[in-house]
Amino acid sequence: MPKRKLDPLPSAAFQILLALVGEDLHGYGIMRQVAQQTDSRMRLGPGTLYSSIHTLLEEKFIEEVDLREDAKLGQERRRYYRLTSAGRKLARSEAERLAGLLRVARAKKILRGDYV
Amino acid sequence: MSEKIYAWLLRLYPSHFREAYGNEALQLFRDRARDEKGFFPSLRLWLDLLADLAISIPREYGYVQPALIGASAQHRLGAGPAFYILEGASPRPGALLLGSVLSLLALGAFWVLLNQAGSYAGIGVRAPGQMRGDSRFAQPQATQAEPQDATSATSRAGGEVFKLDAAERRRVIDGAVAILKKYYIERDNAQKIGDALLVHEKSGDDDAVTDGADFAGLLTRQMRDVSPDRHLTLDYSQAPLPQHPTGPTPEGLARYREAMQQQNCTFETVEILPRNIGYLKLNSFPDVSVCQSTAVAAMASLNRADAIIFDLRDNRGGEPAMVALMAAYLFDHPEYLYNPRENTTEQSWTQSPIPGNRLADKPVYVLTSNTTYSGAEQFSYDLKMLKRATLVGETTGGGAHSGVWHRIDDHFGMGIPETKAINPFSKTDWAEIGVEPDIKVKAADGLVTAEKLAQSKLQKQQGLRSSRVTASRK
Repeated sequence: MPKRKLDPLPSAAFQILLALVGEDLHGYGIMRQVAQQTDSRMRLGPGTLYSSIHTLLEEKFIEEVDLREDAKLGQERRRYYRLTSAGRKLARSEAERLAGLLRVARAKKILRGDYV
Repeated sequence: MSEKIYAWLLRLYPSHFREAYGNEALQLFRDRARDEKGFFPSLRLWLDLLADLAISIPREYGYVQPALIGASAQHRLGAGPAFYILEGASPRPGALLLGSVLSLLALGAFWVLLNQAGSYAGIGVRAPGQMRGDSRFAQPQATQAEPQDATSATSRAGGEVFKLDAAERRRVIDGAVAILKKYYIERDNAQKIGDALLVHEKSGDDDAVTDGADFAGLLTRQMRDVSPDRHLTLDYSQAPLPQHPTGPTPEGLARYREAMQQQNCTFETVEILPRNIGYLKLNSFPDVSVCQSTAVAAMASLNRADAIIFDLRDNRGGEPAMVALMAAYLFDHPEYLYNPRENTTEQSWTQSPIPGNRLADKPVYVLTSNTTYSGAEQFSYDLKMLKRATLVGETTGGGAHSGVWHRIDDHFGMGIPETKAINPFSKTDWAEIGVEPDIKVKAADGLVTAEKLAQSKLQKQQGLRSSRVTASRK
């Protein structure tokens, strides 16, 4: 039976880790943050979002913090998630891997301008 | 209404997902529906949801969570041995029947495979494909030649023990002499070696030997008594050797490509260790046409390191072109790399300098073990001889295989050097003797030792730099 895997790190999981850098968020908050940080290119649906959250929880890259209300969204209590130090490390190593690829792309001159 | 539709669609997910996240998924739907009103936002919301369902439902069914469900089952059953229960419902009779049939098939296949494996026991020579034609370094593992229809009296099937007779010994010797005369690079020696084999045979030196492998070993020694050429070998294969060894097939290449993708082209670890020491664990030198981009990316990610450690302790060789590609990063000018399998050509020189590369003047350490082999030994040997790297670890395996394979009959063949690459460093290469490390330590201690060496070297360099700065200020 296949186990959920984070190697290679799926794009959705990486975006979730990035969304949680700096603040604890509930599911909808994560979805909005991911949409914002990708210029709306990635809008996580509930299935993909909670499937990724479940995998990240299992691997202890994020943790559940508590159940509380979000004043802006009404009275419903929501589960909040927080990045763990292992999750931060994973996000950093993935970012470094992408930076490495970017260096190669620059070296091969397929990018316009020096900075992206 | 739309919430009800989505709630109904959520029932398509497996129960474990619904239980864990059903309410939250519905909550997220409500949030989005509230925030995304109007025709186009609603349309986009539903398109998003349908795409999400199409992707995530099959994936969720692929995952099972024995830990979660099993834990509750175990809790119910109390202490003592217990089966993990994956689903609440009992298996259907059809599923049980299918399971039984598949189990029987699997057992049958296992039994057949076991019998097949028994037929090919005890084979231990290089396959001819590994030495013929292309310039790949041979891997040292015992490789099975493809069994095929026996075509001569020397064929034996099924691992049957056999004894060589005088006629067969003579046939092998005649075959070896003919191949030597035709192909051996040193013509004078070819005649002398051939004569020596015949003299030994006539004087009865070979009569006592009836085992194939022993006979091959004896003939190899007799040849090397005349010409101490480590690349000249006579080999025996219990499995019949193919008549016409084939090159790599498209399927074989596709399999290779897939395997390389799965293994990240055997670039097992690429990381920066403390004190900015780059570390690359490379377990082979794979085909450049498949793995060049991986190699370039790996070296790019180490480009800002102050020193670099190549871990070749589990590297059993590969392609000379990849050896040259990796070595190119370590020089700021084209450098000659000696390769005993190839005559000197343009490809014998590294493509240095590589634009943007900063590693050409950084300290290099190569970790070796007694199983570091072939192409990995070329990398180690050349860098050592060029005084470009410090080798740390154990003496390497000693595989150069500069011979080209020639088939004598179904069970015997010989490796013959047909090229004579000029070794600019030494009279001998590493064939059979291996490459000696500069710092001898157990392979397991190699990394720690190399890290310490690199750190102390960097510290010294830093000390020198700061003393120069102080001197210039004065």
